[in-house]
Amino acid sequence: MELFGIFFAAFLINNILLIRFIALCSFFGVSTKIDTSVGMSLAVIFVMTISSAVSWVIFHFVLAPFHLEFLRTATFILTIASLVQLEELYMKKTIPALYRAMGIYLPLITTNCAILAVAFLAIDYRFNFVQSMVYSIGVSAGYSLAIVLFAYIRERMALAPIPKWFQGYPIAFITAALMSLAFLGFTNMFGL
Amino acid sequence: MFVLISILVLGILGFVFAGLLGLAADYFKIEEDPRVATILAILPGANCGACGAGGCHDFADRVAKGEIAVSGCTVGGAEVARKIAEIMGVEGHEVHKKVAAVHCGARENQRKKKASYSGIKTCMGADIVDGGGLMCSYGCLGYGDCFCVCPFNAITMKEGLPYIDPEKCTACGKCVAVCPRKIISLRPYDFPVVVACSSHDRGAETRKLCPVGCIACNICVKLAPEVFKVENNLAVMDYSKAGINCDPAVEKCPTKCIVKFV
Repeated sequence: MELFGIFFAAFLINNILLIRFIALCSFFGVSTKIDTSVGMSLAVIFVMTISSAVSWVIFHFVLAPFHLEFLRTATFILTIASLVQLEELYMKKTIPALYRAMGIYLPLITTNCAILAVAFLAIDYRFNFVQSMVYSIGVSAGYSLAIVLFAYIRERMALAPIPKWFQGYPIAFITAALMSLAFLGFTNMFGL
Repeated sequence: MFVLISILVLGILGFVFAGLLGLAADYFKIEEDPRVATILAILPGANCGACGAGGCHDFADRVAKGEIAVSGCTVGGAEVARKIAEIMGVEGHEVHKKVAAVHCGARENQRKKKASYSGIKTCMGADIVDGGGLMCSYGCLGYGDCFCVCPFNAITMKEGLPYIDPEKCTACGKCVAVCPRKIISLRPYDFPVVVACSSHDRGAETRKLCPVGCIACNICVKLAPEVFKVENNLAVMDYSKAGINCDPAVEKCPTKCIVKFV
């Protein structure tokens, strides 16, 4: 029940894109087409889960024993960047089909702030390993939900008669704000 | 002391990750045919897909494997085919350059309309709504879908008609595919004669709708029987007969719908 709560809190109530406003660059950058947003979502789920697991281990077994918690920003950036490289190499060799599907998104994700944010938040909330895994899956699922929904709306908007001054990013920001308001409706759901 | 530990820990971590990456790069190395990279460097890099492969890299890969002929890249033409043939060590096939041709000659002010169209300004949209109000159900709609899709800027729109620059056109076929009226086709570069009409209406009908439509009068067939023939109320050309003089037919065409480019 507790894990269920963590998942839904990360998935809907504290949605990383629409409530926390983290990783907005990719939210606007790759949401113009449904295909690319789905590819990006899959890559984020994959990378976020693995990188938060590894950074949890590094924090608790390398940094904490030496009382070097203040070094976590540099360490996590290092960890995530090399991990994504490693995953890319591994996938290219063993699962070429999957690599072609999400390969171009992997380097983008290296610098995605949501990945770093999840690694930090899992530590700030003092989660244990299983909790932090569930949390990162919840966050990445929430990311996918928000960006795919947004891509559907933007594909429809591409054909809509929008006033000249609102075309492109302005209307996208307005839409994102409305979606964010809608997601506020999940607050206090499940008594969390 | 504390500073030293932090430097040490970060340094060791960095070292471990670098070592891991180095090992992985070696362990997960993929043997790629070195010819793929050299072929890729020669290709135009437009990733247009005219060759039938999924992009230039895929094309280079499949040429190196011998699945596609060295002359498969229509965009690169003879020059690229020759270079690839050199790399692959085979005799290059001669590539006949082709360019796109528009089979409609009715300019905006020559088109008769039965309604005015105010929907989305694309040919695709206008075609769905009963041809955008055009009387002729075969002719060019003039919203320039071909102009928008051309990756080589070879198409210009003048008076609602696309004009193709034969020097820039690479026969990638994107405009042929996008035209909802199917009035663009490919012709040989060295045979610059085009029947600029696609109407299969009977002659009398076409004459009412369009001043420059083919009325299937058969004059071209009489003057150059090897090249022209009338099928289904429309003159069509046999482009395999390059080199035959079509000038009399071009001159005598009563509606001037046979056009010669110079």
